[in-house]
Amino acid sequence: MNVIIAGAGSVGRYMAGQLQDSGHTVTLIDNDSTVVAQGRATRTPVGVTWCLGDACEVATLTAVGAAQADVVAAVTGDDEDNLVVSLLSKQEFAVPRVLARVNNPKNEWMFNDMWGVDVSVSTPHLLTGLVEEAVTVGSFVRLLSLEGGKARLAEVTLATGSPAVSKELTELGLPRESTVVAVLRDGHVVVPRGDTVLHEGDEVLVLVTGGVEDDVRRALVG
Amino acid sequence: MALLRRKRDDKEVEPAPVPAPASIPMCDALPRERVCVKGKVVRMTARPTSGQPALAVSISDETATVTAVWTGRREIGGITLGRKIAISGVPVLRGDHLEFTNPDYTLLPR
Repeated sequence: MNVIIAGAGSVGRYMAGQLQDSGHTVTLIDNDSTVVAQGRATRTPVGVTWCLGDACEVATLTAVGAAQADVVAAVTGDDEDNLVVSLLSKQEFAVPRVLARVNNPKNEWMFNDMWGVDVSVSTPHLLTGLVEEAVTVGSFVRLLSLEGGKARLAEVTLATGSPAVSKELTELGLPRESTVVAVLRDGHVVVPRGDTVLHEGDEVLVLVTGGVEDDVRRALVG
Repeated sequence: MALLRRKRDDKEVEPAPVPAPASIPMCDALPRERVCVKGKVVRMTARPTSGQPALAVSISDETATVTAVWTGRREIGGITLGRKIAISGVPVLRGDHLEFTNPDYTLLPR
Protein backbone atom coordinates (compact mmCIF):
# COMPACT_ATOMS: atom_id res chain seq x y z
CA MET A 1 0.00 0.00 0.00
CA ASN A 2 0.93 3.57 -0.61
CA VAL A 3 0.87 5.46 2.69
CA ILE A 4 1.37 9.17 3.36
CA ILE A 5 2.08 10.26 6.91
CA ALA A 6 1.75 13.91 7.90
CA GLY A 7 3.88 14.78 10.89
CA ALA A 8 7.32 13.28 11.48
CA GLY A 9 7.31 13.38 15.24
CA SER A 10 7.96 10.26 17.27
CA VAL A 11 4.52 8.86 16.32
CA GLY A 12 4.91 9.54 12.60
CA ARG A 13 8.45 8.19 12.40
CA TYR A 14 7.58 5.07 14.37
CA MET A 15 4.56 4.36 12.14
CA ALA A 16 6.65 4.98 9.03
CA GLY A 17 9.30 2.50 10.17
CA GLN A 18 6.77 -0.18 11.04
CA LEU A 19 4.83 0.20 7.80
CA GLN A 20 7.95 0.29 5.67
CA ASP A 21 9.12 -2.91 7.38
CA SER A 22 5.88 -4.61 6.47
CA GLY A 23 6.44 -3.78 2.82
CA HIS A 24 4.41 -0.62 2.29
CA THR A 25 5.55 2.47 0.44
CA VAL A 26 5.71 5.32 2.94
CA THR A 27 6.11 9.08 2.49
CA LEU A 28 6.67 11.29 5.54
CA ILE A 29 5.79 14.98 5.40
CA ASP A 30 7.02 17.54 7.90
CA ASN A 31 7.40 21.30 7.77
CA ASP A 32 10.46 21.37 10.04
CA SER A 33 13.54 21.47 7.81
CA THR A 34 15.82 20.23 10.64
CA VAL A 35 13.71 17.14 11.18
CA VAL A 36 13.54 16.36 7.45
CA ALA A 37 17.27 17.00 6.89
CA GLN A 38 18.14 14.77 9.82
CA GLY A 39 15.80 12.04 8.62
CA ARG A 40 17.29 12.18 5.13
CA ALA A 41 20.87 12.22 6.42
CA THR A 42 20.50 9.35 8.86
CA ARG A 43 18.18 7.41 6.55
CA THR A 44 15.89 6.53 9.42
CA PRO A 45 13.39 5.04 9.13
CA VAL A 46 14.99 3.07 6.30
CA GLY A 47 13.44 3.38 2.85
CA VAL A 48 10.99 6.14 3.72
CA THR A 49 10.59 9.05 1.29
CA TRP A 50 10.86 12.42 3.04
CA CYS A 51 9.07 15.57 1.99
CA LEU A 52 9.68 19.02 3.41
CA GLY A 53 6.45 20.98 3.28
CA ASP A 54 3.18 21.95 4.84
CA ALA A 55 0.79 18.98 4.66
CA CYS A 56 -2.11 21.40 5.10
CA GLU A 57 -1.48 22.69 1.57
CA VAL A 58 -2.97 21.04 -1.48
CA ALA A 59 0.27 21.64 -3.41
CA THR A 60 2.29 19.60 -0.91
CA LEU A 61 -0.21 16.75 -0.93
CA THR A 62 -0.28 16.80 -4.74
CA ALA A 63 3.52 16.66 -4.84
CA VAL A 64 3.68 13.53 -2.66
CA GLY A 65 1.05 11.78 -4.78
CA ALA A 66 -1.99 11.93 -2.52
CA ALA A 67 -4.14 11.25 -5.59
CA GLN A 68 -2.72 7.73 -5.71
CA ALA A 69 -2.39 7.15 -1.95
CA ASP A 70 -4.28 4.29 -0.32
CA VAL A 71 -4.00 5.72 3.18
CA VAL A 72 -3.26 9.14 4.65
CA ALA A 73 -2.42 9.33 8.35
CA ALA A 74 -2.54 12.77 9.96
CA VAL A 75 -0.51 12.38 13.13
CA THR A 76 0.91 15.82 13.88
CA GLY A 77 0.80 17.16 17.41
CA ASP A 78 -1.78 19.71 16.36
CA ASP A 79 -5.46 18.76 16.10
CA GLU A 80 -6.34 21.60 13.72
CA ASP A 81 -3.62 20.50 11.31
CA ASN A 82 -4.74 16.89 11.51
CA LEU A 83 -8.30 17.90 10.65
CA VAL A 84 -7.21 20.07 7.70
CA VAL A 85 -5.01 17.28 6.31
CA SER A 86 -7.90 14.81 6.70
CA LEU A 87 -10.46 17.03 5.01
CA LEU A 88 -8.14 17.86 2.10
CA SER A 89 -7.22 14.20 1.62
CA LYS A 90 -10.87 13.21 1.43
CA GLN A 91 -12.23 16.17 -0.48
CA GLU A 92 -9.45 16.92 -2.95
CA PHE A 93 -7.90 13.48 -3.40
CA ALA A 94 -10.67 11.06 -2.39
CA VAL A 95 -8.21 9.01 -0.35
CA PRO A 96 -9.98 5.74 0.56
CA ARG A 97 -8.77 5.63 4.14
CA VAL A 98 -7.91 8.62 6.30
CA LEU A 99 -6.61 8.20 9.84
CA ALA A 100 -6.21 11.06 12.26
CA ARG A 101 -4.62 11.38 15.65
CA VAL A 102 -6.53 13.18 18.38
CA ASN A 103 -4.18 15.05 20.71
CA ASN A 104 -6.70 16.72 22.97
CA PRO A 105 -9.63 14.44 23.87
CA LYS A 106 -11.87 17.53 23.96
CA ASN A 107 -11.56 17.71 20.18
CA GLU A 108 -12.47 14.10 19.55
CA TRP A 109 -16.08 14.89 18.59
CA MET A 110 -14.85 16.65 15.46
CA PHE A 111 -12.86 13.70 14.15
CA ASN A 112 -15.59 12.17 12.02
CA ASP A 113 -16.61 11.89 8.38
CA MET A 114 -17.62 15.55 8.33
CA TRP A 115 -13.91 16.32 8.42
CA GLY A 116 -12.98 13.40 6.19
CA VAL A 117 -11.73 11.22 9.05
CA ASP A 118 -12.43 7.49 8.71
CA VAL A 119 -10.63 6.36 11.83
CA SER A 120 -9.58 8.53 14.71
CA VAL A 121 -7.14 7.43 17.35
CA SER A 122 -7.04 9.28 20.61
CA THR A 123 -4.01 8.42 22.70
CA PRO A 124 -5.50 9.66 25.99
CA HIS A 125 -8.69 7.73 25.27
CA LEU A 126 -6.75 4.56 24.44
CA LEU A 127 -4.72 4.95 27.63
CA THR A 128 -7.88 5.36 29.69
CA GLY A 129 -9.20 2.22 28.03
CA LEU A 130 -6.02 0.34 28.86
CA VAL A 131 -6.02 1.54 32.47
CA GLU A 132 -9.65 0.54 32.81
CA GLU A 133 -8.76 -2.80 31.31
CA ALA A 134 -5.99 -3.27 33.86
CA VAL A 135 -8.18 -2.53 36.82
CA THR A 136 -11.46 -4.10 35.84
CA VAL A 137 -12.42 -7.71 35.60
CA GLY A 138 -15.93 -8.52 34.58
CA SER A 139 -16.81 -5.23 33.00
CA PHE A 140 -17.15 -4.01 29.49
CA VAL A 141 -14.26 -1.81 28.31
CA ARG A 142 -14.37 0.07 25.00
CA LEU A 143 -10.96 0.03 23.37
CA LEU A 144 -11.38 1.55 19.95
CA SER A 145 -14.04 3.33 17.98
CA LEU A 146 -14.20 2.84 14.21
CA GLU A 147 -16.23 4.50 11.49
CA GLY A 148 -17.07 7.46 13.70
CA GLY A 149 -18.41 5.31 16.53
CA LYS A 150 -20.60 3.05 14.38
CA ALA A 151 -18.34 0.11 15.18
CA ARG A 152 -16.51 -0.43 18.41
CA LEU A 153 -13.94 -2.85 19.65
CA ALA A 154 -14.65 -3.74 23.25
CA GLU A 155 -13.06 -6.08 25.75
CA VAL A 156 -14.46 -8.12 28.59
CA THR A 157 -12.42 -10.13 31.06
CA LEU A 158 -14.71 -12.92 32.16
CA ALA A 159 -15.32 -12.94 35.90
CA THR A 160 -16.35 -15.99 37.94
CA GLY A 161 -20.05 -15.25 37.76
CA SER A 162 -20.18 -14.46 34.05
CA PRO A 163 -22.99 -16.23 32.19
CA ALA A 164 -20.54 -16.92 29.35
CA VAL A 165 -18.15 -19.13 31.34
CA SER A 166 -18.06 -22.80 30.20
CA LYS A 167 -20.24 -22.02 27.18
CA GLU A 168 -19.51 -22.41 23.49
CA LEU A 169 -19.59 -19.18 21.50
CA THR A 170 -22.65 -20.29 19.52
CA GLU A 171 -24.54 -20.79 22.79
CA LEU A 172 -24.01 -17.21 23.91
CA GLY A 173 -26.76 -15.81 21.71
CA LEU A 174 -24.71 -12.79 20.66
CA PRO A 175 -26.60 -10.44 18.35
CA ARG A 176 -25.82 -10.63 14.62
CA GLU A 177 -24.37 -7.11 14.72
CA SER A 178 -21.52 -8.30 16.92
CA THR A 179 -18.76 -10.83 16.68
CA VAL A 180 -16.04 -12.20 18.93
CA VAL A 181 -12.75 -11.42 17.15
CA ALA A 182 -10.23 -12.90 19.58
CA VAL A 183 -9.96 -14.60 22.93
CA LEU A 184 -6.80 -13.99 24.98
CA ARG A 185 -6.08 -16.88 27.34
CA ASP A 186 -2.92 -17.33 29.46
CA GLY A 187 -0.96 -15.04 27.17
CA HIS A 188 -2.07 -16.84 24.01
CA VAL A 189 -4.49 -15.72 21.35
CA VAL A 190 -7.26 -18.20 20.67
CA VAL A 191 -8.86 -17.73 17.27
CA PRO A 192 -12.55 -18.00 18.05
CA ARG A 193 -14.76 -20.58 16.35
CA GLY A 194 -18.34 -21.43 17.08
CA ASP A 195 -17.31 -24.33 19.29
CA THR A 196 -14.67 -22.42 21.29
CA VAL A 197 -15.49 -22.80 24.98
CA LEU A 198 -14.91 -19.74 27.15
CA HIS A 199 -13.16 -19.96 30.51
CA GLU A 200 -13.07 -17.77 33.55
CA GLY A 201 -10.35 -15.13 33.18
CA ASP A 202 -10.49 -15.13 29.38
CA GLU A 203 -10.15 -11.72 27.78
CA VAL A 204 -12.78 -11.61 25.07
CA LEU A 205 -12.45 -9.02 22.31
CA VAL A 206 -15.75 -8.20 20.63
CA LEU A 207 -16.50 -6.09 17.62
CA VAL A 208 -19.84 -4.37 18.15
CA THR A 209 -21.81 -2.37 15.60
CA GLY A 210 -25.08 -0.54 15.95
CA GLY A 211 -26.94 -0.37 19.21
CA VAL A 212 -26.43 -3.91 20.42
CA GLU A 213 -23.81 -3.13 23.04
CA ASP A 214 -26.24 -3.79 25.88
CA ASP A 215 -27.08 -7.25 24.52
CA VAL A 216 -23.39 -8.12 24.24
CA ARG A 217 -22.79 -6.84 27.74
CA ARG A 218 -25.66 -8.98 29.03
CA ALA A 219 -24.30 -12.11 27.32
CA LEU A 220 -20.74 -11.68 28.59
CA VAL A 221 -20.98 -9.75 31.85
CA GLY A 222 -24.45 -10.68 33.01
CA MET B 1 -14.58 55.03 -21.15
CA ALA B 2 -11.18 55.91 -19.70
CA LEU B 3 -12.73 55.84 -16.28
CA LEU B 4 -14.19 52.46 -16.96
CA ARG B 5 -10.89 51.16 -18.18
CA ARG B 6 -9.10 52.47 -15.13
CA LYS B 7 -11.64 50.81 -12.93
CA ARG B 8 -11.04 47.56 -14.70
CA ASP B 9 -7.29 47.92 -14.25
CA ASP B 10 -7.77 48.60 -10.55
CA LYS B 11 -9.34 45.23 -10.15
CA GLU B 12 -6.09 43.37 -10.72
CA VAL B 13 -6.21 41.94 -7.18
CA GLU B 14 -9.27 39.95 -8.11
CA PRO B 15 -8.11 36.54 -9.35
CA ALA B 16 -9.08 35.55 -12.84
CA PRO B 17 -11.96 33.09 -12.68
CA VAL B 18 -10.69 29.55 -13.02
CA PRO B 19 -12.22 28.15 -16.19
CA ALA B 20 -14.46 25.25 -15.32
CA PRO B 21 -13.21 22.00 -16.85
CA ALA B 22 -15.37 20.77 -19.68
CA SER B 23 -18.07 18.51 -18.33
CA ILE B 24 -18.26 14.87 -19.31
CA PRO B 25 -21.11 12.34 -19.24
CA MET B 26 -21.49 10.88 -15.74
CA CYS B 27 -20.99 7.32 -16.95
CA ASP B 28 -17.45 8.30 -18.04
CA ALA B 29 -16.45 9.69 -14.63
CA LEU B 30 -13.89 7.58 -12.78
CA PRO B 31 -13.21 7.37 -9.05
CA ARG B 32 -10.34 9.57 -7.79
CA GLU B 33 -10.10 11.62 -10.97
CA ARG B 34 -11.06 15.27 -10.95
CA VAL B 35 -14.08 15.76 -13.18
CA CYS B 36 -16.90 18.15 -13.90
CA VAL B 37 -20.36 16.72 -14.52
CA LYS B 38 -23.71 18.35 -15.27
CA GLY B 39 -27.16 17.14 -14.45
CA LYS B 40 -30.52 17.59 -12.81
CA VAL B 41 -31.09 17.34 -9.07
CA VAL B 42 -33.26 14.27 -8.59
CA ARG B 43 -33.08 13.80 -4.85
CA MET B 44 -32.09 15.85 -1.84
CA THR B 45 -31.53 14.51 1.65
CA ALA B 46 -30.47 16.46 4.69
CA ARG B 47 -28.78 13.78 6.66
CA PRO B 48 -27.09 13.66 9.98
CA THR B 49 -23.54 12.44 9.70
CA SER B 50 -22.59 11.30 13.20
CA GLY B 51 -24.94 13.96 14.50
CA GLN B 52 -23.46 16.67 12.28
CA PRO B 53 -25.55 18.10 9.46
CA ALA B 54 -24.87 17.21 5.84
CA LEU B 55 -26.72 17.76 2.60
CA ALA B 56 -26.70 14.87 0.11
CA VAL B 57 -27.87 15.67 -3.40
CA SER B 58 -28.31 13.10 -6.17
CA ILE B 59 -27.70 14.47 -9.63
CA SER B 60 -28.60 12.67 -12.84
CA ASP B 61 -27.82 13.07 -16.49
CA GLU B 62 -29.07 10.60 -19.10
CA THR B 63 -26.17 8.24 -18.42
CA ALA B 64 -25.89 7.85 -14.64
CA THR B 65 -26.55 9.31 -11.20
CA VAL B 66 -23.94 10.69 -8.82
CA THR B 67 -24.22 12.01 -5.28
CA ALA B 68 -22.72 15.20 -3.90
CA VAL B 69 -22.40 15.60 -0.15
CA TRP B 70 -21.85 18.99 1.41
CA THR B 71 -20.93 18.72 5.04
CA GLY B 72 -21.91 21.14 7.77
CA ARG B 73 -25.12 22.37 6.15
CA ARG B 74 -28.66 21.23 5.51
CA GLU B 75 -29.44 23.44 2.52
CA ILE B 76 -27.77 25.46 -0.20
CA GLY B 77 -29.55 28.44 -1.71
CA GLY B 78 -30.53 27.75 -5.32
CA ILE B 79 -30.14 24.00 -5.20
CA THR B 80 -33.66 22.64 -5.44
CA LEU B 81 -35.25 19.53 -6.92
CA GLY B 82 -35.19 19.64 -10.71
CA ARG B 83 -32.51 22.36 -10.87
CA LYS B 84 -29.67 21.86 -13.35
CA ILE B 85 -26.24 22.17 -11.75
CA ALA B 86 -22.66 21.43 -12.63
CA ILE B 87 -20.31 20.06 -9.98
CA SER B 88 -16.60 19.49 -10.09
CA GLY B 89 -14.46 17.57 -7.67
CA VAL B 90 -12.85 14.22 -7.01
CA PRO B 91 -15.39 11.43 -6.52
CA VAL B 92 -15.08 8.19 -4.57
CA LEU B 93 -16.90 4.99 -5.38
CA ARG B 94 -19.50 4.36 -2.69
CA GLY B 95 -21.53 1.25 -3.31
CA ASP B 96 -22.48 1.37 -6.98
CA HIS B 97 -22.33 5.12 -7.53
CA LEU B 98 -19.83 7.95 -7.32
CA GLU B 99 -19.89 10.36 -4.42
CA PHE B 100 -18.33 13.82 -4.29
CA THR B 101 -17.43 15.46 -1.00
CA ASN B 102 -17.85 19.24 -0.91
CA PRO B 103 -17.52 19.69 -4.69
CA ASP B 104 -17.46 23.11 -6.36
CA TYR B 105 -20.87 23.79 -7.88
CA THR B 106 -22.39 26.08 -10.47
CA LEU B 107 -26.10 26.70 -10.84
CA LEU B 108 -27.01 26.41 -14.50
CA PRO B 109 -29.78 28.38 -16.21
CA ARG B 110 -33.09 26.59 -16.08
